[in-house]
Amino acid sequence: MSKTPGSASTLARTIINKYPDIESKPLVGNKVELVVPPEMIRDIVSMIDEEVSDALPESLFGVDLTEDKYEVIYIFWSHEGKMLVQLRVSLEGETPEIETVSDIFPGLDWHERETHELYGINFKNHPDLRLLLLPDELEGKFPMRKSFLTDRSRMDETGLARPKPRPKPGGESS
Amino acid sequence: MSPDILDESSVIWFGPQHVSAHGWAAKLTIVGDYIVECDPNAGYFHRSAEKCLEFRNFRQGSMILERICMMEAFLAEYPYIAAVEKIVDLEVPERAKIMRTIMMEFNRIHSLQFWWGQFAGELGLFVMLLWPWVDREYSLDAFEELTGSRHTVSYATPGGVKYDFTPKFLAKMETALKLVKDRMPVFNDMLAGSPTFRLRTEGVGHYTAKQALKWGLSGPNIKACGIPMDLRKDDPDPNLAYDLIDWEVPVINNEEHPGESDAFDRLLQRFKEIETSLDIIEKLLPILPEGPIIDPKARSKTNRLPEGEGYGRVEGTRGVTSVWLKTMAKAQTPWRAKIRGPCFASYYSLKHIVPGARFADFPAIFGSLDPYPGWWDR
Repeated sequence: MSKTPGSASTLARTIINKYPDIESKPLVGNKVELVVPPEMIRDIVSMIDEEVSDALPESLFGVDLTEDKYEVIYIFWSHEGKMLVQLRVSLEGETPEIETVSDIFPGLDWHERETHELYGINFKNHPDLRLLLLPDELEGKFPMRKSFLTDRSRMDETGLARPKPRPKPGGESS
Repeated sequence: MSPDILDESSVIWFGPQHVSAHGWAAKLTIVGDYIVECDPNAGYFHRSAEKCLEFRNFRQGSMILERICMMEAFLAEYPYIAAVEKIVDLEVPERAKIMRTIMMEFNRIHSLQFWWGQFAGELGLFVMLLWPWVDREYSLDAFEELTGSRHTVSYATPGGVKYDFTPKFLAKMETALKLVKDRMPVFNDMLAGSPTFRLRTEGVGHYTAKQALKWGLSGPNIKACGIPMDLRKDDPDPNLAYDLIDWEVPVINNEEHPGESDAFDRLLQRFKEIETSLDIIEKLLPILPEGPIIDPKARSKTNRLPEGEGYGRVEGTRGVTSVWLKTMAKAQTPWRAKIRGPCFASYYSLKHIVPGARFADFPAIFGSLDPYPGWWDR
C-alpha cells in the first residue's frame, strides 16, 4: 500500500496513533476497515470529519449475526484521496444501542432511522427516530432481523385466505 | 424563525396524488407562498428488496435490483454483480467487459432522456415532455432487440453478459444514438435557451459543494458544483472498461458562483453527461474484440459462494449506486445485501434545500435533483 498523504493506510495510522484501541484491516485497493468499539464511534467519525475534508457519508447499515449479535457498518468515501474507509462496530443484546453521528454527518440521519426500524438498533440522541419506510403496523417488529419469519407461519397476520391443502394422492377427487 | 410567523402557517401535503410526485409525498409548512419547513416522507414504494435478496441465489439477485429503478436497469443491476465478482474469482472476458460498459452508457443516455422529459413536464413545458420520450422509444427498441425486454433487461450476469451483440441490434443502437446527437442542440435551445425556463431554474435550489458532501449527494448533483467526483474515474470497477480509453469527467463550473450549484447548473450538467456517454460509446465500439462473452465456469462457481464480503459500486445516472454483500460458507443465498441508492441522499436533502424557497419553485428543486422513489424505498 502506498504511503502518500490521502492514502487509506495513512489515515488509519493517524487514527490508531490517537486511539490505540482501534484495529485496522487493509482491504483491496486504497481501502481500509477499522474495527471500532461502540463507545468510541463519535470520536472516530468526528476525526474522519476533521482529517478528510471531502468525506462523503456513503452508507450506514446493520447486519444481524443471530444470537443477539449485530454489526453496524459505516462507509465513507473521499474523492480527493480516492479512498474508502469502512467502520465496523459490533453490538450485543436484545436492544443494542449506539450513539448517533447524524449531527456530524447529516446525510446519515435517514440511514440511522432506517437501521433503527429494520433492526431495532437504538441510536441514542438521534433527533427523529420515526418510522421511515415501514407501515405503522410493523413498528417494533424489526423485519430485517433473522428472527422475523417470512414463511407460511405468519399467514394469519396478512389477512389472506389460507391455501387449500393439496389433495392426497389416490384420495377422493374434490 | 420567530414563533408568531408560524401562527399564520399552513400545512400542505405535496403528493402522493400529485402528478409530479410519482410515489412520494412531502409535508410542506407554508407561510404566504414561502416554504418554511419541508418534511419528505418515504415508504410508498417499500417492497423490502433487501429482505427479498436474502431468498434469491446469486444469479437471480440482480433481477430484483433492476426492478428498483427501471429507467437505469443496466446500471442498477450491476453493483450486485460487481459485489458477487469481488467474492468469487471469475475471469470476465475482455469482450464482455466492453459490452457491459457500452450498454451501461447507452442506458445512462436513455435514463437522462427520460429525466429531460420529466423535469420539463414538471415545469409545465409539455412539448419537451413528449419529444425526448419519443426519442427514448428508439433506445428501448434497441434494448428489446438485444435482451428481449424493454425495461427489465437482466443483461449482465456474474462472469460476463448473457447476449451477444447482433448486427440488427448495432443498427438499432446507431439509429437511437444518432437521433440523440441530432436533437441535442434542439433540446438545448428549448430548455437552456428558453428565457422562461431560465427564470424558473436560475438561482433556485441553491447549495454549496461542502453542504452536498455532508448530505451524501453524489453523481451529477455534486459534479454541478465543480467537483469531478465520478466513480468511473476514481474507483473504476476491474470488470468494466472505463480505464481502457481516454475520456474526461463531465463537470460544470459556474463562474458566477464557483463551488455552488442551482437547478440550472444541474440541467447543464446532465446535458454534459450525455455528451460524455456518447463519447465513451464511440471510443469503445472500435476496440470491441471478438471472443467469448462469459466465463465458462461462471454457472458452477456462483452456485455456492465462499464466505466473504464484497462491496460493488458503480456510477449510476443519479450518483453512487452500491451493493454491500455478505455471504456465509456454502450458502446459496446472501446473508445480507445492502442496497445504497443515490436518491436516498438527494430525497433527504430536500429537507435542507427547500426551506426558504417559494412554493412554485418546489417542482424545479426536486426535479433538478432527479429523484427516483425506488432508490430510497427499495
